[in-house]
Amino acid sequence: MNKLLLTALLSFVVSQGAVAGELVKMKGSTKGRVNHEFIYQDGCQSCHQGSGKKNATDAACVECHGDINSIDVDETKLAIPEADPHKSLHYNQGASCLACHGEHEKKAPVCAECHRTWFEEM
Amino acid sequence: MQGRRNFLKLAAGATVGGVAATLPGTVQAKSCGEISWSETVDTLVVGSGFAGLSAALNVKRQGLGSVLVLEKMQVIGGNSAINGGWLAIPKNPTQLAQGINDDSPEELIKDQIISGRGMHNEAALRQIANHALDAYELCIDTGVKFKKDFNIQVGGHNKARAIRTQHGTGGDITTKLYEAGVKEGVDYRLQHYIEDFIMDGQQIIGVKVRKNYRFPDLKTGSSVFIKANKAVILANGGFARNMALREVVDPSLDPTLDCTNALGATGEVTLTAMAHGALPVHMNLIQTGHWGSPDEGGFGWSNALLSIGWHQGAAISVLNGKRFMDERADRKTCSEAIMKNRYQDGSPAYPIVLFNYNNYAEDHRVTRAIRDKMAWKLDSLDDVAAQFNIPASELKRSISEYNTHVNARKDPLFNRKMDTAEVLTGPFVVSRIWPKVHYCMGGLKTDLAARVIDGRSMAPIKNLYAIGEVTGGIHGEARLSSTSCLECLAMGIVVSTTIKADLKGAV
Repeated sequence: MNKLLLTALLSFVVSQGAVAGELVKMKGSTKGRVNHEFIYQDGCQSCHQGSGKKNATDAACVECHGDINSIDVDETKLAIPEADPHKSLHYNQGASCLACHGEHEKKAPVCAECHRTWFEEM
Repeated sequence: MQGRRNFLKLAAGATVGGVAATLPGTVQAKSCGEISWSETVDTLVVGSGFAGLSAALNVKRQGLGSVLVLEKMQVIGGNSAINGGWLAIPKNPTQLAQGINDDSPEELIKDQIISGRGMHNEAALRQIANHALDAYELCIDTGVKFKKDFNIQVGGHNKARAIRTQHGTGGDITTKLYEAGVKEGVDYRLQHYIEDFIMDGQQIIGVKVRKNYRFPDLKTGSSVFIKANKAVILANGGFARNMALREVVDPSLDPTLDCTNALGATGEVTLTAMAHGALPVHMNLIQTGHWGSPDEGGFGWSNALLSIGWHQGAAISVLNGKRFMDERADRKTCSEAIMKNRYQDGSPAYPIVLFNYNNYAEDHRVTRAIRDKMAWKLDSLDDVAAQFNIPASELKRSISEYNTHVNARKDPLFNRKMDTAEVLTGPFVVSRIWPKVHYCMGGLKTDLAARVIDGRSMAPIKNLYAIGEVTGGIHGEARLSSTSCLECLAMGIVVSTTIKADLKGAV
């Protein structure tokens, strides 16, 4: 199952050349990212610890994407080199994926609390 | 560990006492019967800033068993991760290399006594200062890098003794302490919000915690109970972001004042400790800075930028285009003058500070501020008037008048010291200002060894410790720059030895 997810993800990344997906209507009134569309076909439990009523944790993100320091960020898009959110001077490995990423809504990263001009909602 | 359940029968009426009546929905209902613990640890640390990270690592190194750190936010480091990374260390190697050989912990304490204005605790300051080199060693040992050959004298210190981290942020320290802790077996959990303490009479035995909590929504996540066999260390920081609480203890702190702290500095664990008898001290002593900018979050660049602005430039009210204060006066005087600038509905009319661009075009303080759009380069006073909606003729008249005062080296309006003032000709660097709340000197009363004192008995609450900004009564009226990081790191070391000693005493 994990292998299937990973394969699906990799093929998506290669074919689309994108990492963060557009936010679109997914199921009913629920919005989601197009690059996660294949996960929605399995229902909510793959991210939500077995039940859509439970809050998701990092575990599901890490299972496919790896941990924070192993995910590259496109350096050409950084306002300044120090603004790499995956190698943050303030948090480095000590940040949850959820601090910056939302699956069902646009979210400003935690960096934007202070650095208001460096980061946009994603 | 999910299936493992520990049951504890509490003696009837032993817990929480009358306090619980004012805390509906807390543990009282359950504590009459059995508590089902979802897990058990030896030492539980609340908060993951300098204090919590130092305590966790040092307790782990004392060999006292398992250590669990609970952090309510989605990142490790609390306010420390975004602080400026200044650390006052008497006799640090850079200071000695600079030929400053006459510094000592006692010299640091002397400075802190002056700023404490009689409200400080000299013995507590000595406890901290005497562990300064240990705190420095803890940093070096875990891989923290400091700016090379950098050791300077900061406000209120009588000697150059402040070193700064490589990137000028406390994150350089918190990330290293965290990574060292992970390596050495400390367990860290994000999104764990402390709902209540579980007491057995005058002893803390665990916490009720909301796991998978998403700040600030208390409906998120679910409640579990975690037992702490040996110690609970409160390292949850200050409450500068708790707008209601800070206004209650100091009514002069207007709700329009932003805050330099991380969003999580809301102090509910401090209040929970108080609800269980912990004695609060100096809650109304809250430090503000008059150097904040409303155009950036947190501490930001404004303080640095205004070290040019206050000296070489002028502050102007947007309401009438006039100067309104002695720009070189102290924090309190300036804050009060700035906050009088309001529109009719009471909302802030953020004053501007402007100075000449050309002399400082390459200065980092200017390039960063303009890059991050919290200051602007504007060519003429007409441009300034247009951007900030200031009456242009009034602005021009004020600047022309100011320039005559600069030339005369005398300020008849506000008696400002004009020795460094420059004639303002433009182009200008312009930023907006409004004070920000910065640090809480008050908090929980502890003894010198970090044991939390119960106000009813004036004796320590068994197994409950507190270190860092959550504690009160140490710095007195005002804390000096670069001493909070020192306090947190040092008291993390102290508390680990206290717990070890207390456990020996208990055997």
